[in-house]
Order: sequence, then structure tokens, then C-alpha cells
Amino acid sequence: MLKDFQLLEKNGFELLPYGVGKTFEECAAIAKKIKYPVALKLISPDATHKTEVGGVKIGVNSDEGLCVAYKDMVNSAKKHKIKIDGILVQKMARKGIELIIGGKLDQQFGHMIVLGLGGIYVEIFRDISARLCPISARDVDEMIAELKSHPLITGARGKKAIAIKDVRKIMLSTCKFMAREKIKEIDINPLICDEKGCDIVDVRFKR
Amino acid sequence: MATKIKNLNYIFNPKSIAVIGASQIEEKVGGVVLGNLVNGKYKGKIIPVNPKYTEILGLKCYSSLSEFGRVDCAIITTPSAIVPQIAEECGKLGVKSLIVLSGGFGEVGNKDLETRLRNAVAKYEMALIGVNCLGVLDTKTGVDSIFLPMHKLQRPPAGGVAFITQSGAVGSSVIDMVAYYGVGVSKFISYGNATNLNEIDCLEFLEQDSETKQIILYIEGTKDGKRLYEVMKRINRKKPIVVLKAGRAEKGSKAAFSHTGNLAGNYLAYKAAFRQAKIIEAENLDELFDFIKIFNQPLPVTGGIAVLTNGGGLGIITTDAIESSGLRLADFSARANNTLKKILPPYASVNNPLDLIADAKPELYNSAVEVLMEDATVGALIIIVLFQVPAMNESIIEVLERASGDRRKPIIVIGVGGEYVSRFRRELERRGVPTYGSPQAGVAALKKFFEYSKFKGVLKE
Repeated sequence: MLKDFQLLEKNGFELLPYGVGKTFEECAAIAKKIKYPVALKLISPDATHKTEVGGVKIGVNSDEGLCVAYKDMVNSAKKHKIKIDGILVQKMARKGIELIIGGKLDQQFGHMIVLGLGGIYVEIFRDISARLCPISARDVDEMIAELKSHPLITGARGKKAIAIKDVRKIMLSTCKFMAREKIKEIDINPLICDEKGCDIVDVRFKR
Repeated sequence: MATKIKNLNYIFNPKSIAVIGASQIEEKVGGVVLGNLVNGKYKGKIIPVNPKYTEILGLKCYSSLSEFGRVDCAIITTPSAIVPQIAEECGKLGVKSLIVLSGGFGEVGNKDLETRLRNAVAKYEMALIGVNCLGVLDTKTGVDSIFLPMHKLQRPPAGGVAFITQSGAVGSSVIDMVAYYGVGVSKFISYGNATNLNEIDCLEFLEQDSETKQIILYIEGTKDGKRLYEVMKRINRKKPIVVLKAGRAEKGSKAAFSHTGNLAGNYLAYKAAFRQAKIIEAENLDELFDFIKIFNQPLPVTGGIAVLTNGGGLGIITTDAIESSGLRLADFSARANNTLKKILPPYASVNNPLDLIADAKPELYNSAVEVLMEDATVGALIIIVLFQVPAMNESIIEVLERASGDRRKPIIVIGVGGEYVSRFRRELERRGVPTYGSPQAGVAALKKFFEYSKFKGVLKE
């Protein structure tokens, strides 16, 4: 996980501030530095489904909360006989609209990038747009315009447009990242955006 | 350009054609093809080859091509097993191009046989269309390897539309439909298994072809998506491409690692490529036909659409279609409004849609079209004609042909109805006026045309 984070940062992705602690004190110091609220994630070679073994805690708001969450996580890991390499303390994402940015290597066309809105928009309506990499900022704008749900991105019902500038940057970085690191599949899911900016909450990729 | 692509010239403009597998039996492929060449427009030398016969349709029949000698093009209709050796023989004789109609190769598992043919063709740098296909039609030179009899499948007149198709069945159906409406075709290529030349080679050939102004492409799949994308993107700037991609149902893999892998089936990559190259994509056969015929019109320079009608309701339906497609109605200039007021009967009101009322004669259409052609607010005209009303007559055809022919602004004609209306539509199509059977179909085509004009930088809004 940490290696993935570092690789993403090296490739121009701005991640939410984070640190890794091995003790409660270390975790508290990180939380103090990046400021509450934070999320905790168990770092372990054994845990693929972190949530099921109590390896994810979100919305931790204070040192007291951190203490409880930390103890819970460590006990749960012990109970499930899971090795603890450390605990990731990361700033909680902003509230906003959930986007999904994906990429994959198509056998015929090479790398392609996909954009959609999270939740029912992608799952039920299959409201997605796609382009072949590399893309330009203009391609991103066209991809947004192509989505049926685009008013949610560009502003509707009194809401302001989200920070499209950031979406463009992340999508351009995704194409470059796939090419440079020979990525087969990538999911940025979700990317949470409001009018001020976007936070990458989770990224998974495979070479 | 590769030699094999250059050699396609020998397929479309050969001085001599051999039909290897020619038959005296009319229903056989070798019988139909020979008959079509002999009775069709082709003016060059025709050489039937079949060891079974000494004469077919009054032509001397040779036992092998070697007995005759070199030809520019050989159409092969024999059983697949002997095709590689015939290709070798052709290569040795200096034949530049082959059309292999025969099936029975890779598509039924005979991959080795197809490889042997591919190698023979490559060795002599011949151009090969096929295997397992209908081959080609050239409306100018009369080369015609479509093994469907002329009385069953009409051939289209000469014109600017070229058609590349992976499927012979789709190809022949569209050709028949296009011919019915008299839409002019330059070249038709059914490339089947793409043993040697594929859709990309055909596109590159048509890029250089002076007869071809627009290209229709029907594909089910490609072997080189990246190159297809690059080539389509380049050609589309010069000659608009309308594509229909079939075989889309395939979903992304359920077992995919990522959400994206799960969502994004192979068709999504095609769609992405088309969008990025600004290729006009048709969702179905109807759209394929609807979209292509508008491209003989001049590109619009402004977005406003004028709707002219002699039936109010059709004007309203058209307005709805325009609204929901994201296009917009023109807001006529004061000058145009004043002129229209003078030419319209006193009880008609000047609006857009401009309702000329059911008793409008063709002359009134003519006057109104003149005003709108001159008005800078109008980018394109949708002319709805209720052909069935008593005041309407044949002279509307000349009015519309003139409006379309002077190429100031794009026009489309909408005629809704039955047999009587389709007679008018066919006559208009024959004269190069795009017509549609419903407001929705016409507006959908116009929408693609506006998008293309914007892409070309002609439409600036």
C-alpha cells in the first residue's frame, strides 16, 4: 500500500496527507500534524479485505476517538491472527460528489480512460464516457459533457460546478501514469470533489 | 503507400479480368459473377477459366489461367482447397490483384489453408480482397464481383459514397437500399476475412481515390485498433467517415480486477476511438443510411435552423426534435421577416417554423427558400413537404433540387407518407437532395452534420 502511494505521488498524484504509525503515540502525532478528522487503515500483508477484519476506521475526530479506534484495530487484528506492519493515518476526504476515474489496457486500442459518477450513475445507468490515451484537457471537457449526469459536475440546482481543473489534472496524470508504469487496470474510486478541489479516496491498480 | 495497396488500382480499374471458376450454370457463384461482368458496364477483356468448359456466354473458356496468360485482376470462385495454388499460378503470371469470393478458410477452422494463401499473395506483392466475401463494385469502371444477380440486387448509380464492409450480407443489403434511393456510390468493398488487405488498407486507398468523397465503414472487429484510430482520424478531416460497429453486446469481464475492467467492454474502446477521431457513429443500419446522405450538402456556418412547412403539425414535431437534440431554431432577421411578410399570404404569420399553409404552391416554397438562403441567421433548412395536398405538384422537385444544388446552405427534405411520397423522395434523392421519412430521422442526421462542421471549424459556435 505504501509503495503504491509513493509510486502515485512520484507520478504527479496529490494524495490526502498521510503518515504511518506503529504505536498509538506515533499515530496521534501524525493526526495532530495532518489535523482531525482522520481515517485509519491497517497495513498488513495478510489482510486483503480490511473492512471485514476491522481494519478500517473513518471519521476519527479526536485523540480520545483515535485511542479507541487504535485499540479496536489492534485487538481485532490479533483476534484474526493478522500481522500488523503499521497503521496508516490519513486525512478524511471532503464531502462532495463522487466520481470514478478508471483506466485499462485494451488489447486492440491500448490504454483507455473512463469517467463516470459514483453510485447509481455508473452502476445502474452505465453513464460513462471513454477516450483513448493520451488525452488533452479538451478531451476531459468533452467526456464530462458526454455524461448524462454532467449537470452534477458542471453545476445544477443552485450548486456550483466542481473543481473541473483538478479533474482534468488527475485524468491527464492517470493516462501518463498508465503509459509510464505499464498499468493494465486502474480505479480511482471514489474521487470526491467539491467546488474547491478533489480528494483521491482510494486507488487500486495492477500492472 | 504499400505496393499491395497501390495494386488495388488493378482491382478497380483492370484492363482484363479472369473469372477463375466461371460456370455455365447461372445459379453458381462463377456463373453469376461472369454474367454480371458480361452484361454489366465493364468494358475491358473478360476471361472465363474452368477446365470443364470450352465456352461460356459466347466467350472462349480457358482450362487454366496459364493457358491464357497475364491479366490485371483474377476473381476466384473455386473451392477453397485449390485457391492457394491458383494464387501461386497468378503470381507467377504477373497478375497484380485477386478477389477471392470463396469461403472455407479460417472462418471454418482452415487457418493453415488461409496462411498458405496469404503467403503466396505476399510473395508476389499482389493485392487480395477476401477471402469469404462479395468482393468489390466500381460504379465507374463496372468491375463487379458481387455474386448476387442484378435483377435481385440493384446496383447504385455512380457518386461519391464509398462503402467498406466486413460483412457481405450487410454490404449487399445496404447497397440495395442505397441503389433504391439512387444515392451515388463510388466504390464498394466487402473484404471478408481480410486475409491480405483489411479495412485500414481500404481506408488508405479510398483516402487517395478522387471519386470518393465520403466513406461508410461497417466493422465487427479490427486486428489493429491503434492504427485504425490513427488512419480514421486522419482521413475523417478530408472525407467524412460514418461507421457502424456491430458486435457490441460483449461486456467487460466480470472477473476483472477493477471496476473499470468490469464496466469497459471492448466496444467502449471502439466508441472512445470514434469519439476522439470525431467519426460519425451510426447506432443502426437506418442511421448509417440517414447520416451518409446529408454529407453531399455544404457544411453549415451558423447554428440556426429554419423550418419550412406546409403542414403545422409536422413543423411542431420537427421543432420538438430540434429542441431535444440540442440544436436550435434560427431567429430570422428583421429584414427576412419583412420580406417574408410580403411574399406570404396575408393570413399566414411569419414564424420559425415558417408555416406556408396547406395551399402553398411550389412557387411559394421557392420564394421563401430564397429569402432564408440569404438570411445570415439561418445555417441550415429543413423543408417539410406534405406532398399529398392538392396544391402541391411535381414542380416542387425542381425547386428543391435548385435549393440543394446551389450549395449555399445545407437543406434536408422531410416527407412523411406512403408510396406516393416515397416516389417524390426517390426522385429527390436521385437528384442529390437528402430526404427523410420522419422529422426525427432528419434532425438526427442534421445533428451529426453540425457536429462534423464544428469539428472542421466551419461552424463557429
